[in-house]
Amino acid sequence: MGVSSGLATPDTEAEPWVAAQVGGALEAVFHAVAATRADTTALLDRVTAAGRRPASADLAALRPGLHLRLTREELVSGAGFVAAPGLLTDVPAWLEWWQSGADGDVRPLLLDLDPGQSAYSDYTHWDWFALPRDTGHRAVAGPYVDYLCSDEYSLTLSEPVWIQGRFAGVAAADVYLRHFEAAVLPLLRSLSRPARLVNARGRVAASADPAHLAGSLTRGPDFGEVLAEGRPAVHDGVRLVPCHGIPLVLVLAEG
Amino acid sequence: MEGGARRAVFSPVDNRARVDAVARRIGDAIELGLLAEGEQLPGESELAGQLGVSTVTLREALMALRQQGLVTTRRGRGGGSFVSLPEAPADDRLRARLRGWSTEELRDLGDHWAALSGAAARLAAQRTEPGDLRPLRRTAEELAGAEDAPGRSRLYGRFHVELAAAAQSARLTREQVALQSEVGPLLCLVLADDACREEVAERHRAVISAVQDGAHETAGTLAERCVRESAARLVAVRLTL
Repeated sequence: MGVSSGLATPDTEAEPWVAAQVGGALEAVFHAVAATRADTTALLDRVTAAGRRPASADLAALRPGLHLRLTREELVSGAGFVAAPGLLTDVPAWLEWWQSGADGDVRPLLLDLDPGQSAYSDYTHWDWFALPRDTGHRAVAGPYVDYLCSDEYSLTLSEPVWIQGRFAGVAAADVYLRHFEAAVLPLLRSLSRPARLVNARGRVAASADPAHLAGSLTRGPDFGEVLAEGRPAVHDGVRLVPCHGIPLVLVLAEG
Repeated sequence: MEGGARRAVFSPVDNRARVDAVARRIGDAIELGLLAEGEQLPGESELAGQLGVSTVTLREALMALRQQGLVTTRRGRGGGSFVSLPEAPADDRLRARLRGWSTEELRDLGDHWAALSGAAARLAAQRTEPGDLRPLRRTAEELAGAEDAPGRSRLYGRFHVELAAAAQSARLTREQVALQSEVGPLLCLVLADDACREEVAERHRAVISAVQDGAHETAGTLAERCVRESAARLVAVRLTL
């Protein structure tokens, strides 16, 4: 367990380093999202330049890139482009979404988006879609139970896609929380105090602190403000270190 | 003993139960519209493999579905099993499906559902912040305004799936999704009644308030009561059949 020994003192050099490493791990996922976004923008521009409006079949051209990212990027378990409703001529809504299975194969997500049949036909209120649409910036949604796509406890990283100045949808990638934990737990355990990673709303995303497990809420500090300030802070004896460029805060229990 | 009777005595004990379970699962999916009219089912060996049953069991289940008029089978080129909805009104078909449930099975279904939703409500009350409750509010309001019974039952199910997701539990959510595919078609029978729909919507609002207040015991009790009440109505309908 990542419980500190009584002799350890707060390690103010190791903490920003760990925060930077965590940011780096998710930055690699954002690179994959940016590649999907670039492919999608180029594709939609090509279709528009040909004097047409895009249809769902056009998005098949994204598949080679998505497959590459799913097989190459260890943390990425789902990847794709989610169209804004009304973008495509043949369907009201669409997810060009691919997932890697347990045996390493890559599979399409087949969703029933018919509002007359499916209780889950509208995806526009999910954080991974709404945050990039409303802010214009990239976003990290979760941890949340993704019953729409993967049935997994996940983080979803997403970026808005624009076409001729109009919001066209989001490019996104899923990171299952168990994989994220496997990637960051050694870092958290290397610290001299029980440590956890918390999102802007105080939800624990990964933890080496048995008293605060993933999925629980940390109430009290304003994590949004810590992220906006971009500097380490102290709240009631608890140290808060923002991860640069990623909306997660490293929280260290009282030493 | 005659040959046929002898074979029946020595057939695997749970075979009948498996046949019924497979027929019920596929039949419910057809009633809920998850499998569309005219849609072709996967081939026998593939479908048996996916469901984890023998091809013999699957064939018997398909025969039961053919007798209910929910599946037609065509031979030869382009043949296979296809989804087909019989002419009878949906309400009559659903009553026929409900007759396939004993009151004991319905009571058991209600217990399972109450355990899942009660646990989810308790955990959600400990683990939610206001933003997590937006989907639940939206669903409760949509249910209050939903016109047709299948739509109402889908929204009822969505509320309980969202509650499990608000508990931050992937396992409870998966269990709830699986349970809703069983209970959904049956609930159409009780939710067609406007008074019942309003009562459920009101109960859902009360669960949301308790979750928001962090009152986990209250939230759990309210969620259980909501589900038990619906199961009791279902049993009452079953007893009239």
